[in-house]
Amino acid sequence: MQKEAAIREPLILGNKSYKDITDDVVGPIQGAAPIGWKIMITISTIIAIYGVGSILYLLGTGIGVWGLNKTVGWSWDITNFVWWVGIGHAGTLISAVLLLFRQKWRMAINRSAEAMTIFAVIMAAIFPGIHMGRIWVSYWVLPLPNQFGSLWVNFNSPLLWDVFAISTYFSVSLVFWYIGLIPDFATIRDRMTKPLAKKIYGILSFGWSGRAKHWNRFEEVSLVLAGIATPLVFSVHSIVSMDFATAVIPGWHTTIFPPYFVSGAVFSGFAMVQTLLLIMRKGMKLENYIHVKHVEYMNIVIIVTGSIVGVAYLTELFISWYSGVEYESYAFINRFSGPYSWAYWIMMTCNVITPQLYWFKKIRRSLAATFILSIVVNIGMWFERYVIIVTSIHRDYDPSSWGEFHPTSVDVGVFIGTIGIFFTLFLSFARFFPVLALNELKTILKTSGENYKKQQANH
Amino acid sequence: MANTKRYWSGLDELHKTEAFKAIQSQEFPEAKSVDEFLTDEQLESTHTGRRDFLKFMGFSLTAATLAACETPVVKSIPYTNKPAEITPGVANHYASTYYDGQNFANVLVKTREGRPIFIKSNTATGIAGPNARVNSSVLGLYDSARLTGPVMNGAASDWKAIDNRVQEAVGSGGRNVLLTNTIMSPSLKRAIAISGVEHVQYDAIDYGAFRKAAEMDYGVNTFPSYKFDQADAIVTIGADFLATFADAVFYEGEWAKNRNPESGKMSRMHAFETNMSLTGSNADYRTMVKPSEHGRVATALLDAITGRSSSSSEFNEVIEAAIEHAAIDLKAAGKNGLVLSGSNDLSMQRVVNAINEALGAVGTTVNFECNDLYQGSSKELARLIQDMGASRVNTLIIADCNPGYDAVNASEFTAALERVNLSVSTSTVPDETASRCDVIAPTHHWLETWGDLQIESGRIDLVQPTISPLHNTRGWGESLLAWSGESLDWYTFLRQTHSPSYTPDEMYTCNNWNIAVHNGFIGSDALEQAAPNYAGASLTGAVAALNAQQGGVFELALYEKSTMGAGQHAANPMLQETPDPLTKVTWDNYVTMSHSDVDAMGLNGFIGQEKPASVVRVTVNETALELPVFPMPGQAPGTIGIALGYGRGANGEKVGKAAFQTAENGSFMIDSEGSMVPVGQNVFGWVNAPGEFIHHHQFDVKVEATGGTYPLACTQIQNTFMGRDSIVKETDMASFFAERNLEKGEASWNKLIKLAVHEDVNRDGTIDAQDAEPTEAFDLWHEHPVENVGHRWGMTIDLTTCTGCSACVTACHIENNVPVVGKDEVRRHRDMHWLRIDRFFSSDYSLERGEEEGVGVISSYRKMEDPAANPQTVHMPMMCQHCNHAPCETVCPVAATTHSNEGFNQMTYNRCIGTRYCANNCPYKVRRFNWFNYPGYKKFGNFNPAQDSLMRMVLNPDVTVRSRGVMEKCSLCIQMVQSSKLEAKKRGVPLTDDLVSCACSTACSTGAISFGDLNDPNSKVARTSRNNRSYHALEEIGVKPNIFYMTKVRNVERKEA
Repeated sequence: MQKEAAIREPLILGNKSYKDITDDVVGPIQGAAPIGWKIMITISTIIAIYGVGSILYLLGTGIGVWGLNKTVGWSWDITNFVWWVGIGHAGTLISAVLLLFRQKWRMAINRSAEAMTIFAVIMAAIFPGIHMGRIWVSYWVLPLPNQFGSLWVNFNSPLLWDVFAISTYFSVSLVFWYIGLIPDFATIRDRMTKPLAKKIYGILSFGWSGRAKHWNRFEEVSLVLAGIATPLVFSVHSIVSMDFATAVIPGWHTTIFPPYFVSGAVFSGFAMVQTLLLIMRKGMKLENYIHVKHVEYMNIVIIVTGSIVGVAYLTELFISWYSGVEYESYAFINRFSGPYSWAYWIMMTCNVITPQLYWFKKIRRSLAATFILSIVVNIGMWFERYVIIVTSIHRDYDPSSWGEFHPTSVDVGVFIGTIGIFFTLFLSFARFFPVLALNELKTILKTSGENYKKQQANH
Repeated sequence: MANTKRYWSGLDELHKTEAFKAIQSQEFPEAKSVDEFLTDEQLESTHTGRRDFLKFMGFSLTAATLAACETPVVKSIPYTNKPAEITPGVANHYASTYYDGQNFANVLVKTREGRPIFIKSNTATGIAGPNARVNSSVLGLYDSARLTGPVMNGAASDWKAIDNRVQEAVGSGGRNVLLTNTIMSPSLKRAIAISGVEHVQYDAIDYGAFRKAAEMDYGVNTFPSYKFDQADAIVTIGADFLATFADAVFYEGEWAKNRNPESGKMSRMHAFETNMSLTGSNADYRTMVKPSEHGRVATALLDAITGRSSSSSEFNEVIEAAIEHAAIDLKAAGKNGLVLSGSNDLSMQRVVNAINEALGAVGTTVNFECNDLYQGSSKELARLIQDMGASRVNTLIIADCNPGYDAVNASEFTAALERVNLSVSTSTVPDETASRCDVIAPTHHWLETWGDLQIESGRIDLVQPTISPLHNTRGWGESLLAWSGESLDWYTFLRQTHSPSYTPDEMYTCNNWNIAVHNGFIGSDALEQAAPNYAGASLTGAVAALNAQQGGVFELALYEKSTMGAGQHAANPMLQETPDPLTKVTWDNYVTMSHSDVDAMGLNGFIGQEKPASVVRVTVNETALELPVFPMPGQAPGTIGIALGYGRGANGEKVGKAAFQTAENGSFMIDSEGSMVPVGQNVFGWVNAPGEFIHHHQFDVKVEATGGTYPLACTQIQNTFMGRDSIVKETDMASFFAERNLEKGEASWNKLIKLAVHEDVNRDGTIDAQDAEPTEAFDLWHEHPVENVGHRWGMTIDLTTCTGCSACVTACHIENNVPVVGKDEVRRHRDMHWLRIDRFFSSDYSLERGEEEGVGVISSYRKMEDPAANPQTVHMPMMCQHCNHAPCETVCPVAATTHSNEGFNQMTYNRCIGTRYCANNCPYKVRRFNWFNYPGYKKFGNFNPAQDSLMRMVLNPDVTVRSRGVMEKCSLCIQMVQSSKLEAKKRGVPLTDDLVSCACSTACSTGAISFGDLNDPNSKVARTSRNNRSYHALEEIGVKPNIFYMTKVRNVERKEA
């Protein structure tokens, strides 16, 4: 049996047995919904309905209900899209990359991180759809055989690459997540007493019997999927960044974008995981499984990626000066001193300055500070995309077309609405799905469980 | 003769094959008879299973369901008998003439299936083309506010009743008066003479002093004829002759003839003016003077030219130097100098006459041969109003004018109208005057009527109908004849004016007349007039009067916008949405004020999307109006300008839907009294009428800040081009001339842009900043195979002759069905203009100056956003550049925008899914997105032509009306190119310049825009694109446009380095 150094902090606290883990995870699914959950899902559903209403109004009336104009053709729509895709990055990174690197601490967080990924990518996918002038012909972006005189898509367009990248990422993430869920569904199925619930979880668990053969296949598939998913973690946001990087617009046309966007995505993804998990561990009493050590690990990832992002910002500024290109240098001068400089400085503060607080161990291990900073990071990352998109195009080459962007209530409604939908989905997940990968956790109980570590130390 | 013809059922029969014989032997050649077939045993064994049954059921049900989904049936009624000259799908053009009392133009009217849809220049006359107001007047034909028949006492009536009523009144004795604007039609003049009514003429914009001055100085009552093509030095004192002054349509083209730098000689133009006008913005030297100083500028100029000293004018150094400079240029030009003033001040015009006389210019650049323009007299109108008020007028017939709106004393007029026994209006809409008349006998729209016009000797221009009257209307000349008992029809009457022996039998036989109608004009004898002779009367009084003029704290100069004129076109949504060429504001009038005054009064100095204008209260002679303030570079400090021609229908008169403001939801705005809020406000009441002539200025007005705000909708909010000289290239005449023969790309004012490379391309042993290559050397893409194959359509735009008049803008939009989106959308930067004219003001600041002064780059850029107090202006038409390496084409995911093999960047509307990526990636920002369903959404219902069942008739059937959610942009009028190709093919001739055109190039009266085939070495575009003045805007991005701009040459002294 694998042994772990005694000085490593245990990953599962308390005097837990296998049964305790099952009880802790499946218990809330079997029991009645707590009042806190009911309140939260009510609020998020109301917001979601408002969002759906805003989207329907948008679809019924036209893109003009947003604040876009002839100069600024993308704003909140694509900002939200990139933001949500970015958030959707952490899940796969945690489950695939950390799996390959055999980071056991991921087991406490990977299930919900992946769920977050799936939901965030769904939210992200809303925007490229509804931002189209004619959503009813959106299927034209797929290279389908057709009878329009064999019209084909334009493979030069980064927007098309986006379609492929996002849909691939979404399907692989979904499969990966679901494979992981199968043994846990089986556990729930076995404990369910109500026939309907038993039936449903039975179907969801695909007839899992827990045989060694099944476990063997499970492990193999997980590894293969992790191998497939790992490059996707990097490709998705690289391709999203190419929407901008391949354009001619100063401020967009930047080769630094792919790595800069990927690290930004991991940065915001981990921050969102923090926000969600800190609520969940409290609400679902999972303090023994998700504890300070996990939070600290994630904060280290945040400080690393946040610093990469900071370096990227400064590199951009330097290059805009060093290039000597009039338009390029003006684009960046305008970013930090023009009409939207407030957005730039929010971005700088939230993404570069405040995450540096994590150098202090006390802050890094403080749950309250982490919760606040995780939200700050996501505000900063939203503004990063807003700054890149809006400040670049609102004043580009031809000064006669310089303009402004002012969001409308529908812009706000759609954005807030997606947050509502996201939380509705996530809360439903927390209620009906095993929020921890309980069968995986059981594999580390005897190596990293607090009581077992103590026993080993005593020997 | 025996029939030897034989027929065979097939080759088998012909060759009598065995198989054929076998079949022939049977009566029924099928293998089996029906009976046999039905009783076949094998048939029993086949069966239709349950599944097949369900399949058939399913299919039938689906088929039936689909068949039930009916597509809406659109009914179109074909011609029962096709008119000989109309081929559906092929346009017909008719020569005609436009005259509305202000603008005059020889035009060709394009009709499709009998509907006039486009107006362009009639080049046969050799006179410049129509301006924006004229070419968009075609929308007026389809205005749903037009009266559909005669009206008596506010109720619909018929012509017989009206005729009886008017005849009775006219015949009852007493004074019968006809009130019109200036009548230049020989036939109308004859009709008026026959009718025996007293004729009073007045013009909304009065030029009476010009005639009076001519009478005093030259003994002839005529309007001066200016010959700008002869002028080498032009000094204008407040005359906006390129846009609104007198016969501007004509002047603009003539002026441009002498603005060709390649010829080595350009006219030098000095402007002294208060408001920044189109003319001032095109002047080589522009000086800001207050209205009260205009007179003294003229006298100072007179002194400088004649060497006399009559005044002690105290000007600041700037104005003094400018006058001195202007005088030097005028003297150098001698008889080719020209001074003109827009002021309707008799003393002023006499001084101007004296200057021109002193220069010897009379006879070359200005002459007093008979010119029929502007015969109106405001004095006579005032007298008429007095008589009306005293009930001394029995019948008043009002035609082609709207004194209830645009007379100085409009309220007195409307009050006096009550006291007239019978008031008759012939207005086409129930406007401010007509709605108060007893009888409205609506006249035809000019496109529905016959007419003639004579401005000068030698030519009579003809107006011919291009459509039969849409409504039950009657030309007012014909009405006048009917009321005076003449029962001639108008056409016969018109023909008899020109050949008295004409009878209706000759209608189709007179060849000369047919040729005249085809050409749009007939030659005529000279108008009779005594030879002008300068009297040289003393000017002492005039000079003294001008020198005595003094102004207050704020002076007001009223002006006309080149788009709106005196307000006749208020109901034209296309014109309302065409931005003013200088302020770029649509759908409003406002106070223009210098930046220094704006800052001093603490008003908003930058109008943006959500930064509304500050409102001020302007008080003139105890009447106050609250108006928004537009901070205007080039406005003389201490003065304000306000445009006339707004505020139509202020009392709820139904003058047309576009004259009223709509709220954000598209419904009309309603004020506290429940009436509709007009667009802008009427300031005709502030026209100054001190004596015989009316003036458009007030020397002392009060301006107070109110603290209120009001949104203004601008199509452009950034004023300067931020030192980006790869967009705008300009130089002075001397620099141009010195390097005019250099190869393209060599001249200092149009250097080829080179990009640095990391390679030792100049082989000097080091890699440094000198290692640079032209943009063309860098290429990511393959060339499109259009360079030397087939056609490659392109355009050159000469910034030197583009005046910014915006005729191309309206022409483009009418030709291409560009949607009108209304003020609220324009304010949100969502105008749909395919062709816009970028107006750039110069800034006093530059990065170089910032470096010299030690100011940081950031502050330098900030300061560069501010235009100079009296800036130089560039008007730059900007449309899709049809890049050969278009950034929009690569980014579209569905390939909706692609390159044609003739060089067009094409937009395929029905493939577009509306991602707007192309628009974001366009460096020129020329792509326009359909944010809403403009032809259907309620927000646009009250002004979008496509939403009006009548006005939609103006839509060009060759161009799709775009639906919601698709991108659109300039197509270089591909529909016109395609039809030119067909025409060339039909004629069997090569497709050369004289066959192809774009809407904008046909509309350009200065010839600044030329369109053609870049692959045809003889085409004008090919020649001009090789010219060393030509360049690509933003050449360094390497998108390789097919549109070339020509460096702007100003005829100014070379700047000392």
